[in-house]
Amino acid sequence: MTRSTLRRWFWVHKWSSLVCTVFLLVLCVTGAPLVFRDELGGLLDDALPYASVPAGTPNVSIDRLAETSRDMYPGQTILSIFSDHDEPKIVVFMAQSWEQFRANRKSVHWIRFDAHTGQVLKQSKPFKEDGYTFLELMLQIHRDLFSDLAGELFLASMALLFVTAIVSGIAVYGPFMRKLDFGAVRADRSSRLKWLDLHNMIGVVTLAWALVVGVTGVINELSTPLFALWQRTDVKAMLDPMRGKPVLAATEMSAPQAALETVRAALPGMVATTVVFPGSPFGSPYHYVVWTKGREPLTSRLFSPALVDARSGQFVAAVTTPWYLRALEVSRPLHFGDYGGMPLKIIWLLLDLATIAVLGSGLYLWLSRRPSLAAEAEAELMESRMLASLAIREAAE
Amino acid sequence: MSARRSSMQVWRWPVVLAVLTVSGLFSALLGQSGVWLPLSWLLLGIPLLVILWRLPLRPRFRQR
Repeated sequence: MTRSTLRRWFWVHKWSSLVCTVFLLVLCVTGAPLVFRDELGGLLDDALPYASVPAGTPNVSIDRLAETSRDMYPGQTILSIFSDHDEPKIVVFMAQSWEQFRANRKSVHWIRFDAHTGQVLKQSKPFKEDGYTFLELMLQIHRDLFSDLAGELFLASMALLFVTAIVSGIAVYGPFMRKLDFGAVRADRSSRLKWLDLHNMIGVVTLAWALVVGVTGVINELSTPLFALWQRTDVKAMLDPMRGKPVLAATEMSAPQAALETVRAALPGMVATTVVFPGSPFGSPYHYVVWTKGREPLTSRLFSPALVDARSGQFVAAVTTPWYLRALEVSRPLHFGDYGGMPLKIIWLLLDLATIAVLGSGLYLWLSRRPSLAAEAEAELMESRMLASLAIREAAE
Repeated sequence: MSARRSSMQVWRWPVVLAVLTVSGLFSALLGQSGVWLPLSWLLLGIPLLVILWRLPLRPRFRQR
């Protein structure tokens, strides 16, 4: 590496880090509770507890829950029904109408039922009237800073800068460490030198993890445009014949429970979890869209939809999802670290704290760049030494 | 801190740690039963132990 290349990498490292550091600190702080989403969610939830039932008790029919929901909110439309595979709960999502949902996604509200007894456990209000829960607040800040797509794309670019900072950090690490042992922290000289060494040591040790979380963060932030791309290509091609047709009325529809069972019978290797009702902007006016996932550790994170004719109840087709949605789905666990039990979550938290230390020390190194003539002289000396050693190397080669 | 380190010497441990980290991440993603989860905890725990080992916690006492 020549001296001018090194200087350029330094410049890239400094500015890519400086621009993204504040936002990255916000992401690290809000991301920490999101790793423990399941535990905190259960802890902070004021829903009624699940009924204790003998093992093997079957779930109630979602037809019955659909009926109960319509009785509770006469005139409203059921958007989808989610039946959880891990917990005995079934959630019915409703809105005044599909038109209202299209106009404002926040108009949706849900009713959570006990999957075994059909008892109502908890309900939400539409338009976020019941406020954000702590975890929703953290997720909103983490995902889009309350700014929807614009916020998602902005944070995606910040994550991209973070990745740039890591890559340029790798480039300057080599020349910097020519005269130091791995992990050396010179703690007995200036405070700035100590933090510089700590920044390098913690940074290089957590390098691979930070890169993976950074890259998967960028991919996650692109989920809205990626889904839109899929809608506009594969999904559109499949649903074009139905476009603009009137949506089936609830009375004309086949039973949603039957749709669920049809898909289960047609795709025995998959777990069917969500039934989206006809009329969805992500579906068709004539079909139930049944979302399925695999059974293996990896495939259980890969979701794909199947279509069921909502008039005849016939199975139509299993829709294949493109590679970019597969990549998106695999990048979710790798970003949130919630896929390997509690020890992995704790490791994720500690690595998150280590990243905060790298960001904070980087910021400190920049803020303290001219604290005194002595420190500046030392920095100059270090830099000149490093450049000199490079020059010698160049000459030798 | 006198002798110059070769690229091999500089990058040996960072590369080992990166390989351990990536193996740990995928060990838990691809296999969620048996030895795979504890293996991933072990592999991902090593970088944390390295940080702990290199933190300058002692010099403070030495200075007094």
